[in-house]
Amino acid sequence: MLEYDSAKRPPPAIDEFFQLIRYRDLLFLMVENILKNRYKRSVLGVFWMLLNPLLQTIVLSVAFGTMFKSSLPSYAVYLLAGLLAWNFITQTTQYAMSTMAYGGGLLKRIYIPRATYIIAAVGNGLVNLIVSIGALLVIVIFLHHKITWAWLFLPVSIMILTIFSLGLALLLSTASVFFTDTVDIYQVLIQALFFLTPIMYPPSILPSKLSQLLVFNPFVVLIEIFRIPIHANRLPDFSLVVSAASLALIALVAGWVLFTSKADQLAYRL
Amino acid sequence: MMENTAIQLSDVTVRFRIPHEKIPTLQEYAIRWLKRRSVSFTDFNALNNVSFSIRQGETVGIIGANGAGKSTLLKVISRVIRPTHGRVFLRGRIAPLLELGAGFDYEMTGRENIFLNGAVLGFSRKDIASRLDRIVEFSGIDDFIDAPIRTYSSGMVARLGFAIATDIQPDILIVDEILAVGDADFQKKSAARILRYHDSGSTVLLVSHNLDSIKNLCDRVIWLEHGAIKMVGWVDDIVKQYSL
Repeated sequence: MLEYDSAKRPPPAIDEFFQLIRYRDLLFLMVENILKNRYKRSVLGVFWMLLNPLLQTIVLSVAFGTMFKSSLPSYAVYLLAGLLAWNFITQTTQYAMSTMAYGGGLLKRIYIPRATYIIAAVGNGLVNLIVSIGALLVIVIFLHHKITWAWLFLPVSIMILTIFSLGLALLLSTASVFFTDTVDIYQVLIQALFFLTPIMYPPSILPSKLSQLLVFNPFVVLIEIFRIPIHANRLPDFSLVVSAASLALIALVAGWVLFTSKADQLAYRL
Repeated sequence: MMENTAIQLSDVTVRFRIPHEKIPTLQEYAIRWLKRRSVSFTDFNALNNVSFSIRQGETVGIIGANGAGKSTLLKVISRVIRPTHGRVFLRGRIAPLLELGAGFDYEMTGRENIFLNGAVLGFSRKDIASRLDRIVEFSGIDDFIDAPIRTYSSGMVARLGFAIATDIQPDILIVDEILAVGDADFQKKSAARILRYHDSGSTVLLVSHNLDSIKNLCDRVIWLEHGAIKMVGWVDDIVKQYSL
């Protein structure tokens, strides 16, 4: 017979993992429902989601395309690939944080694994990314940009991006429950980071002093491992993959340990 | 611990920390820290050293004034919050009827919500699919089951919630004022289901301000006051004292 004993419990980091496996159908349903709610109301649902990065790409290509013509061939592909990776990380983390800070009410009414909302948000972002890659493919073909076997590396890149986003989302969500202005602070930070990350410009245009500082921007390697196979038609360097994967793992472990250790306080705080 | 214990609480304390001034933002926290002013708190014990034990098959009522700790007690039993001190022990599958409609998505249809709410209660999709017809039938809203539940009346939502949560007989059923929802027919129907589960061995925990339904359904009563147990005993004795 099922037993619950508040005094005897495996460490939270392990307990939460097994609870999530038990409640896996809830995770799938939540992702399904987020997507359904978004797309049910308009037939053009998927189109609206793609419109934002597409318009951004068109506008920026017109504005900067000629500027980087010599240093950066296929500017539109470079830009769109970078934007997709960037949007995936930032939108997923923001979405996870806001569902936790504003929509986590269910957590104080009934028991469900605490990380449910965050993982559902990441799952939702992942589905959106995969749909967006379909659109990217159309653009790439339309612009006669080469498609090579290097694309097959993308699942690895996506996995690393997902792990990183999940870790970051866990860290930020924990913070946002304790301090609601985390949401606003993060908003400002990523706006600044967007311009400090080579997404709409090639890294080569930065003055050498500034480009050395890029080492400290974790988003750079993460975007590179996604963009290189698409834009440069080659596999990313091994060292780049290793540093991106390590970053992702560090984020996940730190996020998971912090979140699960604070999870019991969530129902008190929300 | 006895072999037939269903719920046991030992010295359970639930402490909420209430800051004197609310400091919900990092900004304010930082300002305060810079000014070297410490943040002061008051500790408030919503439950204070509560201990009791309930045997399998008992129906126990919980009474007390508003703010006496009834809801906190139910939350700590249904795992929503963990006790600050002490120990909560449960044996068996628990069905918490805390707030009907929690875990519903009002944009989705009734049918989709049965799956969602079932998943919130920890059931698998396959499991719910096999019991879908029975749930719909008990809720009595088969005509509207494919309409979004934002179009439902509050009574219909409550009926659907009750039908999902109690479809399978739980070992422990937690009922919070639920007998007050729905129309007379549905109240009868839900009371009958609770009684039937009680007769076939479920432990029932009932919170209500309605002393009549406490008298009709419960064997024993726990009387809470200011987060502590004021009295525990047979239903007639406690209700008599409580009414004084």
